[in-house]
Amino acid sequence: MKKCPIILYWLLLLVPTFVIGVFAFQLLRHEQERIDKEVRFSARDRARSIAETLQITVAAVEDGLTEALCRIHGNRLTETLLEWEESNPLLRNVFVWKPKVGLQYPVSGASATLEERRFNARYNALFSGRVPWQSAGAETADAVPSDTLVSEQPSLVRDIKKLKTGRQRLVSLAKGEGGSYKDRNMEAEEGSCKVGGWIPWFEENRLFILGWVQRQPNGLIYGVEIELMTLLSRLVTDFPATAPKGMVYALLDGSGQILHQAGNSALEPGLRPDLTVPLAPYLPHWQVAVYFVDGRLAAVSGKGFIILSGLLLAIFIIAIILGGSLLTWQAHRNMREAQQKTSFVSNVSHELKTPLTSIRMYAELLNEGRIKDPEKKEHYLRVIVDESRRLTRLVNNVLDFSRLEQGRKNYYLEELELTGYLREIVELHRLRIQEAGLALEVQIPEEKIVLLTDRDAIEQVMLNIIDNAIKYAADGGELVIALKVKNGKCEIRFMDRGQGVPPEHRSRIFKKFHRVDDTLTAQQPGSGLGLSITRRLLRDIDGDLLYEPRDGGGSSFVVLVPCRSHRES
Amino acid sequence: MKTIVNRKKVEWWVMVILILFGLCGGRYFVSPATAKAPGSGVDCRVEIDRSVLLEDGPQKVVIKVTLDAPPPPEKIERPAVNLSIVLDRSGSMSGQKLEKAKEAAIEAVRHLGPGDIFSVVAYDHNVRTVVPARSARHVEWIERRIREIRSGGNTALFGGVSQGAAEVRKNFRGRYVHRIILLSDGIANVGPSTPEDLGRLGAALIKEGISVTTVGVGTDYNEDLMTRLSQNSDGNSYFVESSRDLPRIFAAELGDVLNVVAKKVRVIVECPDGVRPLTIIGREGRIRGRTVELYLNQLYGGQKKYALIEVEIPGEKSGEEIHIASVRVSYENPFTQKSETASGRVSARFSDDRAEVNKSVNIGVQRDYQLNLNAIAKDKAISLSDMGKKDEAVSELKKSAGQLRYLGQKYDDEKLLNEAEAMEQQAEQIEEKGMTRKHRKSLRTDSYQMKHQQLSK
Repeated sequence: MKKCPIILYWLLLLVPTFVIGVFAFQLLRHEQERIDKEVRFSARDRARSIAETLQITVAAVEDGLTEALCRIHGNRLTETLLEWEESNPLLRNVFVWKPKVGLQYPVSGASATLEERRFNARYNALFSGRVPWQSAGAETADAVPSDTLVSEQPSLVRDIKKLKTGRQRLVSLAKGEGGSYKDRNMEAEEGSCKVGGWIPWFEENRLFILGWVQRQPNGLIYGVEIELMTLLSRLVTDFPATAPKGMVYALLDGSGQILHQAGNSALEPGLRPDLTVPLAPYLPHWQVAVYFVDGRLAAVSGKGFIILSGLLLAIFIIAIILGGSLLTWQAHRNMREAQQKTSFVSNVSHELKTPLTSIRMYAELLNEGRIKDPEKKEHYLRVIVDESRRLTRLVNNVLDFSRLEQGRKNYYLEELELTGYLREIVELHRLRIQEAGLALEVQIPEEKIVLLTDRDAIEQVMLNIIDNAIKYAADGGELVIALKVKNGKCEIRFMDRGQGVPPEHRSRIFKKFHRVDDTLTAQQPGSGLGLSITRRLLRDIDGDLLYEPRDGGGSSFVVLVPCRSHRES
Repeated sequence: MKTIVNRKKVEWWVMVILILFGLCGGRYFVSPATAKAPGSGVDCRVEIDRSVLLEDGPQKVVIKVTLDAPPPPEKIERPAVNLSIVLDRSGSMSGQKLEKAKEAAIEAVRHLGPGDIFSVVAYDHNVRTVVPARSARHVEWIERRIREIRSGGNTALFGGVSQGAAEVRKNFRGRYVHRIILLSDGIANVGPSTPEDLGRLGAALIKEGISVTTVGVGTDYNEDLMTRLSQNSDGNSYFVESSRDLPRIFAAELGDVLNVVAKKVRVIVECPDGVRPLTIIGREGRIRGRTVELYLNQLYGGQKKYALIEVEIPGEKSGEEIHIASVRVSYENPFTQKSETASGRVSARFSDDRAEVNKSVNIGVQRDYQLNLNAIAKDKAISLSDMGKKDEAVSELKKSAGQLRYLGQKYDDEKLLNEAEAMEQQAEQIEEKGMTRKHRKSLRTDSYQMKHQQLSK
């Protein structure tokens, strides 16, 4: 069998397949990168949108509180501030500071609460004048109404509308309008405060926010410290409730701690965000962060796409290779069978021709009447008869093969006394065996063994194996035919001292058309069907044919036949 | 010396209510003979630990301001409740705990009426509103939603409470009793998670009239955080060792919530010149000069809540009388939706007779004062134990137990003696086995319940 065409077919199949595969994969990779970028941009936009929403909320709260601070008037300013602090959850502390004098309220001392003492200590640098108020975030108090902020951010209108109710409520609370407390002293007073601002303050890495206004004409600074827990509690509810699959939005404080998160995955402490958007200037160092699960963008844009596409591509390539392989294998098989059939036809023709030549030659001699010697005549006639029988066997084999291949072979089961029948066949062929130069040794027990089997099939089996021995083991000079009963089966061994079957052919000698030497110049002609037919016949009647190398050289063919078969035809 | 002044006249209220309900078609009838009239008002009783003082120099006196809430009217519709249940559904809650918690939440909604508002928030590292604030009449739908809760990952307690508060705020304009019940079994690990931060959240919520009741399950939750949140928002606090008790706790808590007779209670104690407030025992409050301010969110029917204030008074001559404090109480009557007030005052007399002074001791005030000091000693023992000073913690508990026993024997007071015995046992157990998590939770919760006179335990 020539390998070159097959390799060529393979190359023709594989090279384009791999080229297509590589190109397709490159395209997929580019597509994946494009999707990744889009997901990243989209995540950044969403984070910005969240950040802007939070900033607007904080700005609105600050504006509301500033406005409320400006509206406080009357003689009991400090008392009003205190009452405001006690009723407004957005306020943690209130204070009154007099330039060049110092803090008027809350004063340090035994009567101060722990919170007031902490407040004084926290802003000592500011209240002692070491840090100027102006540089710490001053602006005109009424500079930025909250609605302006919204109109300046058209992209956020949708989000803001969604949050409108909650934010308005919060702003009302900041202004002191909607809460449980509404003070009669908090009414607008034109020009009462000119300057004010918001100061982000850090202590022990934590953010605090201080708002203040300077009142006229006394120049006193009134201020509040925002209760960050309240603010955060409100911001948390402004945060999206969910995040796209594989993504987590988080609100981080200045030290990177997660204050709140949305998304199905729990985040490990210390995990670095993939994207961040700062919340400065309203909440300095705070950030809105985006995490892609397991640090991979893939989980979001999924690499789902490239994995699925890659999988499909791989299936496509594998399908091509498998299909190609199957076709190649089928072609190879067909070629081999065609070759075997050609060889079979040649062999059968050769087989048929040999006895026919002998028959024709001896028949012509006899016909011409030139042979007068009666012994010679008898010899020629015997040769003609023998060759005719051989021809019959050959034709029977071919016919059997044909029937077996088409599944039309019929078996007629009958009781058969094996030992007697075996002896009969052996005796029938003894002469032929001996003429081939084989010393025949028969080891058949005396006892009778009755089988339910097909007589013709058994005869065909015997003939084929004996023929094989005559053809291939004549130089061994010995043929032993032994019958034993073993494990409920009759075991008939045909042992010779021929060259035996080479190991690489042992598994194939029972395949149809297979010959150890299948060339036309082989020493022995043959069709390659004998052993194949023999095994098929035996297996059809619940028996089997095995090959074993014989100790000391030679072959041993073992015919197994059930001793008592109840098989119906 | 105690003085009781109730500015609202009971008879007047009875008449008003009867007329009102007569106009409403006689749907309800109140028998003046069997029940206190609705909105009959909170009694304010002011006492000191001894009514006769020694004529010696400056001395400390303990003032006890007791707010005696009337039982709720029997046949008057109770104020509607706006309840949000915040459930921890972190991984540690999986199994029996979460199932019992869900069962308890379902039981709670079944106890509510159609006029009440109910919401459920469940949190792990995510916060999810399972039942948005809506009328409690949709019981079946709410039940179905609650049963769908599954356990998850970490514990975003702050976010959960914040979302619960947001749900409560949706019905802020209505005249409801606002309450959040928080249930958790673990350490908060997403968002602010220190007791101080959560305490400040609680303090902010009470300004909006929202109380947070905390229920800690098992021995792994942070009791400091939970009690601080309750304390600052004037809610209750429970330690539940076994999840089997959850339905009972929820029912008890709901019993309190449905029984509110006074809201937004504000107590102002004013002392005259010479009397100096020193400290408030057990409760959070503000001392500003000679004025002491306390804020309690709610009073339940039949409940007695008190505040203990230590003041320093100057010595006077024997026979002289001294005015020690005037108390003003303002609150909102949830039945009438009107603000009401109550007041009281207390004074004492000086004597040079020590026996007379001893005889004037008010055992009730002394007992509560001592029990509150004992609660503070428990907190101190926890702090010492946290610092690794187990022996000092045990010593603190034993010292407090000794003081309780001394006073118990002195005044032949069974309650003090029982508490002394319980404290001694706890001290011995801690001495033997160390401060286990169960001991710590038990001490913290007991201390909180004592300082806040929690009804349901």
